[in-house]
Amino acid sequence: MRFLFVDEILEMEPGRRIRASKFISPDEDYFHDHFPGFPVVPGVLLTEMMAQTAGKCLDAEDAHRGKAMLARINVASFRDWVRPGQTAVIVGEVRTSRSQFATANCHIEVETRTVCSAELLFSFVVMENFAPGYRDEVLARFKASQGPGASGRVRTP
Amino acid sequence: MKWFADLFGLPIANVTPATARTEITDWDSLGVLTLMAALDETFDLVVDDADMRAMKKVGDVLDLLRKNGKIT
Repeated sequence: MRFLFVDEILEMEPGRRIRASKFISPDEDYFHDHFPGFPVVPGVLLTEMMAQTAGKCLDAEDAHRGKAMLARINVASFRDWVRPGQTAVIVGEVRTSRSQFATANCHIEVETRTVCSAELLFSFVVMENFAPGYRDEVLARFKASQGPGASGRVRTP
Repeated sequence: MKWFADLFGLPIANVTPATARTEITDWDSLGVLTLMAALDETFDLVVDDADMRAMKKVGDVLDLLRKNGKIT
């Protein structure tokens, strides 16, 4: 099982805001247990989607301070179920971004309805801790789609 | 004081300026980041790592806020 909970970055202003999407495949393993006859995405995975999304926005801002890692969930609430076959649109708004930490307000929309939200705190881990050549494939794909020299607010066609 | 107690989820009766960092379980490395973020966002006060490390008790945080004119 991969632990990638973002399919595609739809729009991003590095270090400020991001919108991304994740299709919830009916084939996900966890639906066997969560729950039989009532498959819904676990709240911890929705939180991970928000953390990964906001993390990409922070990583795109400044690679030198390291990779953004979820350090604390200040507040999280879950208002509605997310079901197989739906597409989650994940929105992250960076509140504060410093060299040692960052905070972001995030939420997930399904069919324009907000299903959950969270306030997250991130710390940074220097890239030397990761495997040589490691890179965020979703972020790399988004950057490639923008073409060389793209900066500031960028949007997919 | 209430702000500090709320930040670490402590009863306000348990927090005084003399309360040491070592007495607050959550004032660990993550607590330091939490405190830095809260000072930044609540008081618009950016604190560097050295200043944070120098804080040994609640009163040190209050002193920093006073020194920067954030509380009286």
